[in-house]
Amino acid sequence: MNCDEALDHLYEFLDRELTPEVERAVREHLHACAPCAQETDFEATFLKFVQARCRAHGAPPELKRRILHELFGE
Amino acid sequence: MATPAPPADARRASFEHEALVHLDALHRVALRLTGNAADADDLVQETMLKAYRAWDSYQPGTNAKAWLLTILRHAFINEYRRRTRRPETVDMETIEPFAVFPDVQESDPQGAFFDRIVDEQVLRAIDALPVAFRETLVLSDVEGLNYQDIGRILDVPVGTVKSRLFRARRLLQARLYDYAVEMGYIKRKAG
Repeated sequence: MNCDEALDHLYEFLDRELTPEVERAVREHLHACAPCAQETDFEATFLKFVQARCRAHGAPPELKRRILHELFGE
Repeated sequence: MATPAPPADARRASFEHEALVHLDALHRVALRLTGNAADADDLVQETMLKAYRAWDSYQPGTNAKAWLLTILRHAFINEYRRRTRRPETVDMETIEPFAVFPDVQESDPQGAFFDRIVDEQVLRAIDALPVAFRETLVLSDVEGLNYQDIGRILDVPVGTVKSRLFRARRLLQARLYDYAVEMGYIKRKAG
């Protein structure tokens, strides 16, 4: 697998959406190619960052009360 | 002969155990779809009521979160989308994805500049994405659903999920990079 092919699969690789064979081929390429490995790490960092920033707040307690009341009359 | 309905207590217990636990996730998605807290609350409440009414059609052991998000999205399309968002004129296929990495490869290859960008700014950048990108990105990158579940919820093929996700991520990344440059968190590559 060359760099273009590996980078084409980059997000699917990080999302664990590849077949085992293709995933293995990407992994082998990343072991052998530092620039592609670096780019993959960068994208992984970005995805973790987005999730962390967006999951900081939960639903307001008042909403939960409202829903329980509607559903079960409490 | 129809099987007898489970007693109300058991129905309630299973709903609390399998559906209500996803309240935070529904609320996060609703906020990103509607763009405001009041509509998001109403949308989540409506979703939970519809889900409880339809609870007997939910297959235990399948992905309850995806099932709930499907209901939420239908409710959003039917009742909120038209009045909360203006129709979008952007042609998504013409958006040329811009890769940030080549720009920062030398100065910040580990993306440390992301750490300085606060929640509010990230949420605002997501809210500014075209809705088809926004919903795909939120279901994947915030809620962690796989391509197949996302495709089912949005009623699009997996290939479409993949291409929207690619463009959405690149677009969001580029906007946050521009913001980081503007704020002086990172210097734009010369040339």
